Formats: sequence, structure tokens, C-alpha cells
Amino acid sequence: MASDARALSAAPKGRLPVDGPRKGISLSRVGIYAVLFAGVLIAVGPFLWMISASFMTLSEVNLTRLLPEKLLWENYATALRRANFLDIEIATDPQTGMLQSLSVSGYIWNSVRITLISVLGSLTVCIPAAYAFARMRFVGRNFIFALFLSTMMIPGIVMLIPHLLTVIWLGRLSESLFGPAGAWFNNWPALTIPFFASVFNIFLLRQFFIQIPDDLWEAARIDGAGHPRFLISVVLPLSKAPIMTIITLGFIGSWNALMWPLLVTINDEWRPIAVGLSNFVTADTPGDLNLQMAASVITVIPILALYFVAQKQFTEGIAQTGIRG
Amino acid sequence: MSMTTFPALKRALATRRGRLVLENLTAYIFLAPAGLLIFLFGIFPVAFAFFVSLHRWRRFPDQYVGLANYEKALGNLGYILFFWLAIAAAAAAIWVGRRLLPPLRESSGEGGLASIFAGVICGYAAVLAVDWFFKLIPVIMLIPRQVRGQNTTLSLFMEKLGESFASADVYAAGNLMLGGLFLSLLAIIIVAWRFRGAQSVPLIAVSAITTALICAGFFLLQLTIRETNGAIAAARESGESLPIWSQLVFISAGLAMIATAWIVFRRGIKDYDNKRFALLIVSGLMLAVGGYLLLAEAPAALAAADDDLLQGFWITVMYAAGTVPVQLSIGLLLAYLLFQPIRFRSFFRMVYFIPYITPFVATSIVFRIIFDAGKHAPANRMLSIIGIEPQRWILERSTIGDLLGLPDFLAGPSLALIVIMIYSTWTYIGYDAVIFLAGLGNIPGELYEAARIDGASGWRIFRHITLPLLSPTVFFLSLVAIIGTFQAFTQIWILRTGAVGNRVNTASVYIFDELQNSNRYGYASSMAFVLFALILLMTLFQNRIMGRRVFYG
Repeated sequence: MASDARALSAAPKGRLPVDGPRKGISLSRVGIYAVLFAGVLIAVGPFLWMISASFMTLSEVNLTRLLPEKLLWENYATALRRANFLDIEIATDPQTGMLQSLSVSGYIWNSVRITLISVLGSLTVCIPAAYAFARMRFVGRNFIFALFLSTMMIPGIVMLIPHLLTVIWLGRLSESLFGPAGAWFNNWPALTIPFFASVFNIFLLRQFFIQIPDDLWEAARIDGAGHPRFLISVVLPLSKAPIMTIITLGFIGSWNALMWPLLVTINDEWRPIAVGLSNFVTADTPGDLNLQMAASVITVIPILALYFVAQKQFTEGIAQTGIRG
Repeated sequence: MSMTTFPALKRALATRRGRLVLENLTAYIFLAPAGLLIFLFGIFPVAFAFFVSLHRWRRFPDQYVGLANYEKALGNLGYILFFWLAIAAAAAAIWVGRRLLPPLRESSGEGGLASIFAGVICGYAAVLAVDWFFKLIPVIMLIPRQVRGQNTTLSLFMEKLGESFASADVYAAGNLMLGGLFLSLLAIIIVAWRFRGAQSVPLIAVSAITTALICAGFFLLQLTIRETNGAIAAARESGESLPIWSQLVFISAGLAMIATAWIVFRRGIKDYDNKRFALLIVSGLMLAVGGYLLLAEAPAALAAADDDLLQGFWITVMYAAGTVPVQLSIGLLLAYLLFQPIRFRSFFRMVYFIPYITPFVATSIVFRIIFDAGKHAPANRMLSIIGIEPQRWILERSTIGDLLGLPDFLAGPSLALIVIMIYSTWTYIGYDAVIFLAGLGNIPGELYEAARIDGASGWRIFRHITLPLLSPTVFFLSLVAIIGTFQAFTQIWILRTGAVGNRVNTASVYIFDELQNSNRYGYASSMAFVLFALILLMTLFQNRIMGRRVFYG
């Protein structure tokens, strides 16, 4: 997998059989472009129609019009409200006009919260572990690393039940410690803590940490720094790229999660967006297709925006791990 | 800061040995959070799932039922599977022992025998610890139910926890475990002190692992024999006969025949003298006999199996067969075209990746609408352009074979499943193309030059240079894709409709349904385990068949 990643970054330039586009048009080149553009049409066609349909009236969607007669922006407002995507309540003091309370709720907000917690938690847990594997010598290092890696082979469906039972039990323990707020089930811990120690992230970071030159470590040690200090003040500032990759992959991971949240959430308090959208759509069949499309567009936009901004992290991260969330 | 107050400690840490100890300690502290979580949510769950699968378990542990869940899932084949598992554990023990022990023993010098002895004690102590742990699990799993309704305080929880540790069974196993741990600690100390300087750690570890594997094999074998005999006795009491033993023999013999046929066949096509023909004939005969044995016995062994599960497996197979080759070949074609000297390469690459990175829920919903059954739905509109009458797509239960009027055995997937297959192909083509493009970039350009000088044409270059050198990528992608079909969930969840029922449920979706709707954790665990075994077996198989030329750089 790692070799794929290296190849990916090396692929586009320099090594091609013939460098640079050739001048002149031949029949075969027209054919190549025709196939490639057909591919583009197939890849983005459903998205284009999704966007177009999200502005239509219901009957226009049902008749499969290509473009709406009039852009119905209110579809988005209705979808946001009906699908319970985002609800912001601002209360101001009637006399002074000062902000009194601000309450945000809805699936988008839940997914954002879950993403933040799981990415932060994952980084805190994985960075020291990856550092230990990459730059420290200790008894059993290779064995423990192999053991960690072997857990990636286990299919998710096998883990589902033990995770559920463990989460229920630990939740009870934590409730007895922290009261009702400490519950795991239908709360953020069940949705995030089991995924903190991601072997993918540890592997990704380790590969990067190994490449940091030893000279830096020698210099830091002469200056009296130990491992924790070296990690915080030298390694971390150098590791922006893999950390960005982890953040982007973590973001899509939480945004897409469906199976596990279906099991551990019972109401809208922490239910993430994929479950919300799925419930919205399966609950209203045949339903308001234009609103379903608007809701889908809303779900897709953050991921697409992130993709266009951080394209490199996406492709490299996915090629390195071979997965997406 | 605190170092200065303990000059003795500071001096001790300044020595080489002290630094080593400190480095080890720091490393373990760094690893602790990740290690704890990976143990809890990565390693322990496998054993736990197996444990649950041996019980009736609805949210809380109920009765121990042995292999009954497996029998319910697979019929008699469940028992046969466990025999193979026990033999596999024994084979693994022998493999580890024979492969690793002798060279380690040589390198560790005179302390070898003592180290092996210490390792055996450690391995057995580990087995005792696992035994204690799994005696404890069902007891402490009941705590949430015991404290339900009461005001859960820490002291109440701890009190219940203490009671569980003190319950008779757990207590006895705990004492055994402590004894074992004490003995193994003693053995390690003795070995470390008596044979200083010898490389004894690896030897101890390997012999401990071998011991644990032998114990696991023994446990599985004992469990299987007991359960099988129990099932046969129970059947006899109700006046039926349960031919598990004969089925075990015949099915194993059939599989062994087919495996040998394969080996003989490979020998045969390598051999260029007159034995070749004879070898091929023998191979064909063995294949025929093995196949006959399997065909004759397998249906009877599977007679009592869960039909929905079997259908789930069959749907998974069709799903994989219908998507993986298509998506790989289109992905390869696109990558090959992208690799030509063209403009806008990065634009194409970026666009092709979009279906793969966007949330599956959202794109599945679009496909739900595109392949709606309505006369004006996009897919039907396109069909009407080329003059085909509208289809019911995601609402269609009937199979392709039915719709085309083919005989039953050519039934194939339902039309609804085909929609899911189209969706999944659409999603993964871009991913495959991007990874293929990377693989193409790895092939040295000189090879193309050389081939062109030799006068090779485009297709021949592709066939004899590109494809063989791309084989590691093909291997990697097909493995990922097949495992992906076993894991597919979101698209099926969204694209399945009530009208189609279970005609689109792959095995994992069926297991999830079983879990969510009827809370039968034990049964669901046993099915998940069977699926796990299948995936593992397939990975090994694919590794052997396809992975010979793959190198992981």
C-alpha cells in the first residue's frame, strides 16, 4: 500500500513514456478524449442532476426535467428544517438587544461535534504511539506493531457486537462515575472513543516519523531535550502533511458513518448526518424527491469543498491506506 | 526539577543501562493509551465475539449453548467447520514450533532447553489467564442489569464488581491464574539470571505462543467432539440419525481430492516428457471424484442451515462477480488512457475521484431516484430512447434470468441487486483508475522504449509489458474490492426497498438485520464469525493463487 502512495506522488511527471502533449490531432487522440470526457459525464452526471433537481418542483423531478423552470431556493430552507439538519436558536434580551443564549442543534451540528472530538482524540492517542514505534527502541516493538497491524484484517461486522457490549458496560461504569452525563450509549463516547486508536493513523504517522533525519534528534539530545520535548517541538511542526491527511480522512469517516451510529444512537441528540439523511429519505417514500435532493446536496457540499481545497491530502491519504473512513 | 532532589536516581539514569530502562518506560507510556484502546476495541473483540457466539445472548448473557448457533447457521457443516478450525490451530502450532524453535535454540546456546521450559510455563499461564477472563466476563456483563433502576453510584458498581471477582468459579480460576503467573515469573527470572547474555527472550516467546496454540487446538477439538456427540445423541433419542461423522470424512476427502488435483495439475503442465499426459488424466480424475463427493454430501450437510444466510452468501458472490471485474477493467482502461500524453490529466483524475469521496448515503439517494420504477424516472427515460419498455429497477424482485425468460439455473441477481452493482461500480472506478495510474507510473520507461525498438505494437506492449508489471496493483485492488463487497452496507441500506425484501441482502447486511431487529447477539456473532473465516480463507487463497508475483516494496 505504501508503495502505491509513493508511486502516486511520483506518477504524473517525468516518467511518462513520452513527455508532454504532442502537437497535432490524430483520430486515436480524438477517441481518447471522447472516452475520457464520456467518463467525466458519467462521473459527475448524477451530481449535476442532483443539484438541478434540488431546485425543481416535485412534479418537475418526477418528469425528469433537465433544468428547473425557476430556481426554488426555498427547497433548501425546507429541507434543512424538515430533515432536522440544522436549527439555530438565538435568544436576545428584548431590552438591551444583547445575545442571551445561542443553541445549535441538528444533524450537521452533531456531525461537526463528532468529527472534532474523534479527530482530536485520535491525534492525541495516535501521535505518541506512532512516535514510539518510529523513533524509540523497546522490548517487543516489532511484535506489538505486528499485533496492531493484524487488527486491520478483521471485518467490521465481527467487531460490531463486542463493541456494542463493551460500550454498554463501560457506559454503565462511567455513569456511576460521572452521573448521567457520563453515559456512553446515545452519547459522544460511543460514537468516537472506539475509533480513537486508529491503526491506519498510527501507520501513516509512523511512516512519516521514520523519515525525519537522525541528526535532528542528536542535536536535540545534546541540547538536553528528551523524547517528549523532541516530539512536541521538533517532530510535530514538521508533520503538518500527515496530520492534514488524518484530519481530512477523519472528516469523511465521521461524515459517512452509518452502520455503527444506527446501532448506538436512539434519538436526535447525537445522531450524525448520514443517519439523519438516511432516516429522512427512507421515512418519506415516495416522498418529496426535490427535498431529498436538496438534503443530499447539503450533505455533499462540505465534503466536496474539502476535496477541492485539500485534494492532495485526499488522494495521497487514500492511496496510502487504501481506504476511506 | 525533581531529578535534582534525588541525586542517586539521577546518577542511576545517567548510566547506559539506566538510559535504556528510561527509554523503554517512556515508550510504554507513549504506547499506553493506544495500546489500551486497541486491546479493548481491536484484539479483545475477536475473542469476545467468539465467546458470545457460544451463548444464547440477548443484550445480556444467557445460557451456554455450545455450537448450537453454528448449527443453526450452517447445519451440520457448522460442526465440520470447527473440526477444520481445530486442525488448523494444531497445524499452526506445529508450523510455529518446527519453523522457529530450532534456529532460535541454536542461537541461544546452552540456556535453550530451560528457555523452552519457561516458555511453556508462560504459555500455559496465558491460557489460564484467558480462561479466568472469560469466566469473569459473563458475570460482570450482568452488572448493568443488576444495577438497573437503582441510583448507580461508584460504590454500588464497585461492590458488584467485587462480588463478581469473588464468585466461586471466577475465584478458583483466578487462583489458578495467579499461580501460573507466579510460576512463569519465577521461571523467567531463573532463566534470565542463570543464562545471562543468552538471547532467551525470543525463544521464550515462541515456545509460549506454540503452547497457547496447542491449547487452543485441544480446546477446539474437545469442544467439537463433545458437541457433535451431543447432537448425534439428541438426534438418536428422537429417532433420527445425524451422519455428521460420515459427512466430515466425505467432505474433507472431497476437498483434499480437489486440492491434490490442483497440485498434480500444476506438476503436469510443468512436465514436458511423457508423464505429462498421465498426470493430467490423474488430476482430472481426482477433480471429478472430489467434486462428486462434495456435490453428493454438501447439500445434506447444509440441509438444516439458515436459508437466508446461504442466500446472503450467494448474493455476496454474485455482487462480487458482477462488480469487481467490471470496475477493475474500466478503471484500468481509464488509467491507461490517462497515462497517454494528453492535456488536462490532473483535471480528469480529480473528477474521476469525486464519486468515491462523496458520502455514500447522498449518492445512493440520487441513484434511488434515477432508478425509480416510475415511467418518467431518468433510467427508464433513457431506456425509452432506445425503445425498451420501462423497468421496475429498485422495486424489481425478479431476477435477470426471469426477465429474459432464461431457465432457472441461469437466474442470476435480481434487477434491484443489479442497480446496487451499477452504483458500486460507478463509485469505485475512479479509485481504481487513480491507483492504476500510480502503478503505471512505476513501470520504467526504458522497457517501453526497448519494446518499441523491437517493433512491438500497442496491444502487444500492453499485453506483455504493462499488464504483467501491473500485476501487484491488480492483486491489491481486487483484494480490496472483494473485501469491500463483503463489507458493503450503506448503498444496500439506502437502495433496498420493501418490495425487494431479502433479495439484495448480502451476508453482512443480513447479520446486521438479525442484530438490530431481533437482538440475537449470540446467533449474529456466530454468523459474523463464519463470514470472518470465509474472508480469511479467501484472502489466503488469493494470496497463494495470485500473489506469487507480488512484492511489497
